[in-house]
Amino acid sequence: MSTLDIKITIKLIGPFVNQLGFSEKTMSFPDGVTVETVLSSLPLDPKRPKIVTRNGQAVASGERLSHGDRLAISPLYSGG
Amino acid sequence: MHGWTGNILRINLTNRTHKVDHFDEEFARKWVGGRGFALKILWDELKPGIDPLGPENKLIVTVGPIAGIPAPNTGKTVVAAKSPLTGGYGDGNLGTRVTEQMRKAGYDIIIIEGKADSPVYLYIEDDRVEYLAADEIWGKGTYDTHDWLYKKYGKGAGVLSIGQGGENLNLYSMVRSLEGRAGGRPGIGAVMGSKKLKAIVIKGSKPIPVADPEGMRKLGLEDLRKVGEIDKKTGWSIQGTTGVLAWCNEVAALPVHNMRKTHHPEAWKIDGERLNNARVATYGCPNCTMRCGITILDHEGHESELDYENIGMLGSNLDIFELDQVASLNYLCDDYGLDTISAGAVLAFYADAIEQGAIKGDFKFGDAEMAKKLLGLAARREGEVGNLLADGSLRMARKIGHNSEAYAMQVKGLEISAYNCKFIPGMALAFGTSPIGAHHKESWVITFELKQTRRDSYGPEKAAKVIELQRIRGGLFEFIVACRFPWIELGWQLEHYAEYFNKITGLNWTLDDFWKVADRIYALMKFFWVREFPFWDRTRDYPPMVWFDPKNADTEGPIAGKYLELDKYNQLLDYYYEQRGWDKRGIPTRKTAEALDLKQEADEVEKFTKLE
Ligand code: SF4
Repeated sequence: MSTLDIKITIKLIGPFVNQLGFSEKTMSFPDGVTVETVLSSLPLDPKRPKIVTRNGQAVASGERLSHGDRLAISPLYSGG
Repeated sequence: MHGWTGNILRINLTNRTHKVDHFDEEFARKWVGGRGFALKILWDELKPGIDPLGPENKLIVTVGPIAGIPAPNTGKTVVAAKSPLTGGYGDGNLGTRVTEQMRKAGYDIIIIEGKADSPVYLYIEDDRVEYLAADEIWGKGTYDTHDWLYKKYGKGAGVLSIGQGGENLNLYSMVRSLEGRAGGRPGIGAVMGSKKLKAIVIKGSKPIPVADPEGMRKLGLEDLRKVGEIDKKTGWSIQGTTGVLAWCNEVAALPVHNMRKTHHPEAWKIDGERLNNARVATYGCPNCTMRCGITILDHEGHESELDYENIGMLGSNLDIFELDQVASLNYLCDDYGLDTISAGAVLAFYADAIEQGAIKGDFKFGDAEMAKKLLGLAARREGEVGNLLADGSLRMARKIGHNSEAYAMQVKGLEISAYNCKFIPGMALAFGTSPIGAHHKESWVITFELKQTRRDSYGPEKAAKVIELQRIRGGLFEFIVACRFPWIELGWQLEHYAEYFNKITGLNWTLDDFWKVADRIYALMKFFWVREFPFWDRTRDYPPMVWFDPKNADTEGPIAGKYLELDKYNQLLDYYYEQRGWDKRGIPTRKTAEALDLKQEADEVEKFTKLE
């Protein structure tokens, strides 16, 4: 781990918790990491529609993350 | 005619008589079933202005052409009446064995008229209808009532019942079936109670008329299997609808503290993960392979089945973050036959009004034990407080005064379900335009809003999405009568439903045919309201004013400082009305009505208000 690494908290929602085996975890990533890179580092089905939010706001896959960001990854719920 | 029996069982409780009426294929094609049938009958047969709790109101129990036939999630029945809570059209659907049994008994529609002179329940078996004394079950909760009836008629019977809430005319009481769920949020249980009708038991033995029975049987069973497989693969039913709680908390859409807050650090204690860990049983409606009901033990040790709405409204919205206590409140609502959404909203509003100094009382947010007591008072209408709480938040606000209506979280009298739209304009529009009062079942656009468009947009794309979803959820799934979850949660294609419909009816419909029926139903639902409230204007499609109040904005978190803007919401409403072909008041124009084959209905509504 480089000292320049940033910490991102990943919050999984719904069945992703069971699929990946954790609910919330803070992980280190290289500075400048994008949402897409974080997502591809996780064993998630890339074809499954998801909604990803950064600090509670929807985020595009190319966006760069900052130290301390919270990334919530959820299946695309459509409402009860 | 295939698909429909064409039979309406019309029961009059006043003189304990019944007869079978018939509908023709034209009626069937125009209204299809479920909500369509119920609405058209109530429109034709109810005089405007009648007392919803008087003998003139009619309780409709109805199904659709695919209901009860083995195929994905076809175990639902619609119950409807003029709503005593809202004064407008009211309905709801619930999973129950009644669906299949009613079709096998040979009926698509049951109309219950009049009022019994003493408590009764109905036993319907094919052509036989019995009016039986309900003395032994009147006063009992829905669990004991069902047990008593199952002992007598066997577990295979379909049962609908009310609890103490319906008996005592609590205005948000529901109709319950232990074989599935509860339905009829706008007080349909109170309508049943007003007729002194405790329960309906149905058994049938006739074949359901299907155009291609063999083809449908094969397809339906195969698709049930496939849906079950998708569910397993995606893991949706591990948390079912409750997965959305953690998400709402992340994106600031969770109801907390009477919706004054949008997220809470303790929300994780009542989320889908904790619920799944505490699971003691799984519960589902008939004909379902993705059973979503998660049952846990409540604080007193009862089994209580929870979903997102009841955790959101009886948990976070009341600042109660102990799962077993939320389960207790949910159990009580189910037993009393109260709507969990409205019950949670009413208690939260009461706590808020006390906190604001608008009324005196000793209930505080977070007090689960007092909340349990209050539910009992509301269900039985005991004392001044019980009577106040039993009337729903809008009537409460009008009694309490002090501008409390601004934070009574309802639209058209029906309480808002568990999505806090402080800063979600499209979902606020979905609640505002929901045709029975605020309900998430008609349209749910939050993920679309956040993913496909900007949260702060009030653009026409949001109005278009609300309408698209209303056509599917409030239209198709309510008139063919099936649970929407295979489609919304597992991506089961809508084309499958056209295929089932065509195999059952022998018709050759496309989805576009469904959308026309959906638009017709939405237009007539609006006419129903306008006939009841002739000075109709767009403010009835507004969400509560507190969402437009900058002082109510979050002070921290993802939407700090944000609130809905009224002029922009009005613009969004304009887009919605324009796209629907409705005027600026939110009433379908004559041209729109006639294009939907509603000329007669337009003539009728013009006796009350001029159409554009
Ligand atoms: S998904 Fe849930 S609500 Fe729908 S039919 Fe199955 S159990 Fe009932």
